[in-house]
Formats: sequence, structure tokens, C-alpha cells
Amino acid sequence: MPTVEWMEDEVRKAVPDAIEVTVVDLTGGQDHFHVRVVSPTFEGMRPLPRQRILLGHLKPYIPSEIHALDLKCLTPEQATKDDGEVFHPHPNRRSEAEFVGINIRPKEESE
Amino acid sequence: MSEFNWTPDELTELVNTNRLVLFMKGTPEMPQCGFSNRAAQVLRALEEPFVSVNILTDPRAIPSVCEWADFPTMPQVYVHGELIGGSDIALEMYESGELQEMLAEGDSE
Repeated sequence: MPTVEWMEDEVRKAVPDAIEVTVVDLTGGQDHFHVRVVSPTFEGMRPLPRQRILLGHLKPYIPSEIHALDLKCLTPEQATKDDGEVFHPHPNRRSEAEFVGINIRPKEESE
Repeated sequence: MSEFNWTPDELTELVNTNRLVLFMKGTPEMPQCGFSNRAAQVLRALEEPFVSVNILTDPRAIPSVCEWADFPTMPQVYVHGELIGGSDIALEMYESGELQEMLAEGDSE
């Protein structure tokens, strides 16, 4: 199971000049993460290519270990305007997880 | 519904013939994941028709779509055939107005 510290290390490997890396374990289950990265690398890049830097690096772990990744890839300038809000996909985790099935994998798991 | 096999050709045709496509877990009315719900809400906020594809209806869907898109997670949002990203990017681009611009630009081409 990836830990928050492990995720931070991997994000820093993927974006070596990151000024700031924040990782939040969204469910406490070590498989849904919010990652906020601030780096000058992202300047002049559209949102998807920014994410692809991280996703390319983390590919071996998705979706086996990392089921969900919510990413904020910001330039230093954008970071000054960002409120740092973290989106929680499953606010009532226990009840929702039990009844809805939050996995990224298809049918065989939810059935 | 005619048979859909999630082949790259079928997926490409689907996103190229619909200006807004959302691959999601569940439906906009009954989302099965908070991220999918967020993406659906962003598209609803545009007040434009969009096609949503429930990728939980077929076990082949997620691996096929993710490999074709070279994007590992769901949901996925396509504007005029182009993947813009998941719900995080959809929201970001909606808030910046970039999503609305991209839709309008594709219409004028």
C-alpha cells in the first residue's frame, strides 16, 4: 500500500524541481490520493500534459495500488491564487463504499 | 442497442461524432463515484447536451478505454474528440472558462 510519504517521494522523482508537494490520503485507505504539486516545469503547459508527467511515472501502480488520483499541477503563480481546497470524493466513506463500490476496477469486484 | 466492443475505432468514432463525451462510473443521475459525479456536474453546468458512457456496464470497458486513451483513471472527459482529462481538469478548465472556449472553438471549425 502506498503511503503518503511514498507518494511524496514518487511525485518529487517525477517532478524534480517541484517547489511544493502535498499529498492527502482521501479515504484513509492508502489508495485514493489528492496530490498538489507546484513547479515551474508546468509553465506554458496545458493541464493534461502536466498530469501526464505524474501519471507516466505512477503508471505501474495504477490501478493496482493507487485506485484514484486527484491532481492539481500548478505553476508558482497559479499556486498563489489557489485556495488549497481538497476535493473529497466520498465524504461518507463507509456507507458509500459499502453500498456503491468505489473501485476503479470493473464489474467482477462490485458484483 | 447495437453491440459495442470498446475497440479503438469505435471509441474514436464515439468521441469524434459527439462534441462532449463523458466516460464515467454510473450515470449523471446515479453516479457511482465521487469523481465521476464531479465530472458530470461540471458538464451539466455547461448547460449543453453531452453523451455519458457508463463504464461499469461492461467489464471490458475500463481496460479498453484506459489503454486507448493512455489515461489510467475514470472519469474521462472528451471535447470535440480530444481528451481533456478527468474531473480535476474538467473543473479547473470550467472555472477558467477554457472548457467553454474549447467547445465553442471546435464548433466554429
